Order: sequence, then structure tokens, then C-alpha cells
Amino acid sequence: MKTNELRFHIASEFDVKLAVLQAGKFASAIDSNETVVQKIMTTVSELAQNIVKYAGVGHIHVRKICRSDIVVIEIIAEDTGPGIRNIELAMGDNFSSGGTLGLGLPGVKRLMDEFHIESNAKDGTSVTAVKWIHDK
Amino acid sequence: MNKIVNTSNITGLEDASYLLSRYEITEKDISNIKKYGKIIVKRLDEYVVHFYEWMKNQPEYTEFFSNDKMLISVQNRQIEYWQEFFAGEINNDYFEQRRLVGETHARINLSLDSYLAGANKSMTILMEDLYDNSLSAKAYAEAVASASKLVNLDSSIIVSTFAELTNRTIAEQSETLMKMSTPVAAIWQGILLLPVVGIIDSKRAQDIMNAMLIKIAETQSKVIILDISGVGMVDTAVANHLIKITKATKLMGCECTISGLSPAIAQTIVELGIDVDSIATTANLKDALESAFSSTGITIKASP
Ligand SMILES: Nc1ncnc2c1ncn2[C@@H]1O[C@H](COP(=O)(O)OP(=O)(O)OP(=O)(O)O)[C@@H](O)[C@H]1O
Ligand SMILES: [Mg+2]
Repeated sequence: MKTNELRFHIASEFDVKLAVLQAGKFASAIDSNETVVQKIMTTVSELAQNIVKYAGVGHIHVRKICRSDIVVIEIIAEDTGPGIRNIELAMGDNFSSGGTLGLGLPGVKRLMDEFHIESNAKDGTSVTAVKWIHDK
Repeated sequence: MNKIVNTSNITGLEDASYLLSRYEITEKDISNIKKYGKIIVKRLDEYVVHFYEWMKNQPEYTEFFSNDKMLISVQNRQIEYWQEFFAGEINNDYFEQRRLVGETHARINLSLDSYLAGANKSMTILMEDLYDNSLSAKAYAEAVASASKLVNLDSSIIVSTFAELTNRTIAEQSETLMKMSTPVAAIWQGILLLPVVGIIDSKRAQDIMNAMLIKIAETQSKVIILDISGVGMVDTAVANHLIKITKATKLMGCECTISGLSPAIAQTIVELGIDVDSIATTANLKDALESAFSSTGITIKASP
């Protein structure tokens, strides 16, 4: 069975690991370029870990989308957690409320070709990151 | 109806009657099966011939049945299996035999799919191909229905035994892998090597750091090489762990070199924006070894 979409429930470090491995497999079936695959896995890992660390529970979707001009892999991370108070600050390098490097969100933005974040205290956080696949 | 049946543990008779009622197997079914058994049990030799004619064309045949001795023993057990089936004595011995079939399949790694396909084929041979038309249409239809119920019950025991054993094997394997996951080895006087394979999560990173520091203290090593060529993914958390490990070994007077960075991982680390100044890295193990030799004052020369 061939599927163009993966969906993961994320609530633990184990879930993160599983999502990373599956997303890696998914990406390598679409593009064999190791750097692309690595960037997809790292993005899933960063966004999923943020869910576990800051929201507790959430979801990750990974899909292949054929646009008119290009094939892309889209990663969406969603949670209904507390939201990010100051998005601008969180998007800056080395800001962390969790005592780690604070490079997850800005790093993902650099790894991917499109990046969009929405977050507020009412709805939680939603991050969309897109990688362009130049084949096809 | 939601009692959990542990097939590895069928001891009491109440379990046998529970399973029979769960699969709606009545006294009447048992007597239907026995009646049909009178026709078919004497033809089980023919059944085996038919079955292996079919089996020869299945993908698992050469892998599992090409050995003659093995084949004969399997065929004998298969005949016994159907003798028991048509004898209609559904008791704990009966269940134990089914459990053994599941165990055997799990042990030799013969898939559930091939068991189920085989059971399906057996039913066709026994209930259709070898049927001698000696029963009334109604009695025959009843025999077929009753036999399928019992086959389903058999399958359920075999499947759950199989699954239980497979799960246990997986758990044992991952335990072994965890134990093997931090094999710090002294590869030379003063030089340690730790190859890491798989995904590094924070628990794993902690284990790696502990194993490294203990071995450094034990061996008074001056250089430790952490080879990550088998690591599938690096992110900010992994990089952070690598930095911390480097710092901790330095505190103990031991330089840490991270080797085996693939181009994809190197590029990802840079784009994440990780400050790599504090860690020494090399593309491969050979370079890491050379620098370890030179920093511990070892020179390697080809013998003249
Ligand atoms: N899903 C989320 N819900 C709530 N807050 C979040 C979420 N994701 C990120 N944040 C906030 O944004 C900050 C920056 O996130 P970012 O991933 O860049 O860094 P980090 O997770 O703190 O550290 P690193 O990812 O480098 O380990 C976090 O410290 C946290 O305060
Ligand atoms: Mg983060």
C-alpha cells in the first residue's frame, strides 16, 4: 500500500523516535538525497520534541504534495498547549524557556524552504514547514 | 464476553469450555465433526499428498521444507493434528497441541500468513477435494460449518501463542541491544572508542556519557573517539548532548573527538546554527585515529 500521508500522535519521547524514523522512510521514498531526508527527520524531531516538552500532547502530519510546479514535503505540528507568548523571541536564536540550546524553531526555519508558525494561548501552537523536492 | 484468555496458561477446564462457547461450538458441532471424521481420517495420507503438491509452489517451501527429514516429521505432525481435530476431544491436551503449533511457527520464523494460508488450503482439501459424497446435503453442510468453527478456534490459539512469543523475542532483543549500545573499548594505550548506532535520545545520551566517563576514569585514557557514523539523525538536542559529553570528558583530562559525520549531518548541524567550536570532529574514523595517535605521542610506522 502506498500512502502519501503520515499522521502521528505525539505524547512521549518514544512517539518522537517513531515519528522521526517513519518520516525518514517516507522522505527517502520520495527523494533519495540524504541531506533532504536528514532535514526532514531533524525537523520532525525538533517540532515533536517541542510538543512533548511544552504542550504535552499533539500531532505531526507529514505529507507529500504535488503542486503545479514542484513536489513538496509538508510537515505540520499541532498542539492545543499553552502557546508561545512571544513568537518573535521564540524564533530568535538561542532563546529557550527549557534550558536547552534554543535553536529548534529558528533551526527548522533555516533547514526548510517555507515556514509558518501560529500560536496563542487559546488555540495552542501550529507550525507548518515545507521542503521543496526538486525532482519531477 | 470480555474475559482475557491467556493461551499459554490454559490449565483449568473452565478455559476449554469458555473458548468453546466463545466460538459457539456446541455438542452438535462436535458430533458433526466426528461424523465427518469417520469419512476423512482414513484418507489423511492422501490429504498430505495434495497439501504438498500445493505447498511446493508456495514461496516458503524451499526455505522451510526442502529437507526430507524435516518434511516427513512435519507431515506426521500434520496428520496427528487432523486426527485430533476429527476426534473431537476438545480438552486441555487439544489446546496444548495447538499452542505447540504456534510456538513452532514462531520459533522457526514461519509467518502467520503461511499458517493461515495452509489452514485454509487444508480445509479445502479435507472438506471438498476428498469428500466422497456419502452424506446427505444437509449433513454435509453442517459438517463444513462445524469444522470451520473449530478451525477458527484453532487459529485463534495459534495466532495468540505466535504473537506472544514474537513480542517476547522482540523485548529480549531490544534489551540485548540496549546492553550493547554503549560498548566503550580501549583500542590502544590511552585511546578509547565508542561507536554509537541508532537514534540518540536523552536517556541514551546519558548512558553514553556515563559509560564514557567511567571508562576514562578506569583506563586513564587521554583520547576518546565517539564515532557517530551509525547515527541516523542529529538535531539540536543530540548536538547539545555531544557538546556536553565533550565538555565532561575534557574536565576529566580526556579529549573527545566526534568522528563519522556524514555530509548530510554536517550540513544540518550548520543550518541549525549550532556552535561547533567547542567540539572536535572528523569525517571518518581513520582521521580521528591519526589525530589520537599524534596527540598521545604514538607514531605508526610500516616495518622496514
Ligand atoms: N509547541 C510549543 N508550545 C509552547 N511553547 C513552545 C512550543 N514550541 C516552542 N515553544 C517555546 O518556544 C521556545 C523556543 O523553541 P525552540 O524549539 O526554538 O527552542 P527549545 O525547544 O527551547 O530548545 P531546543 O529546541 O534547541 O532544544 C521554547 O523554549 C518554548 O518556550
Ligand atoms: Mg525545541
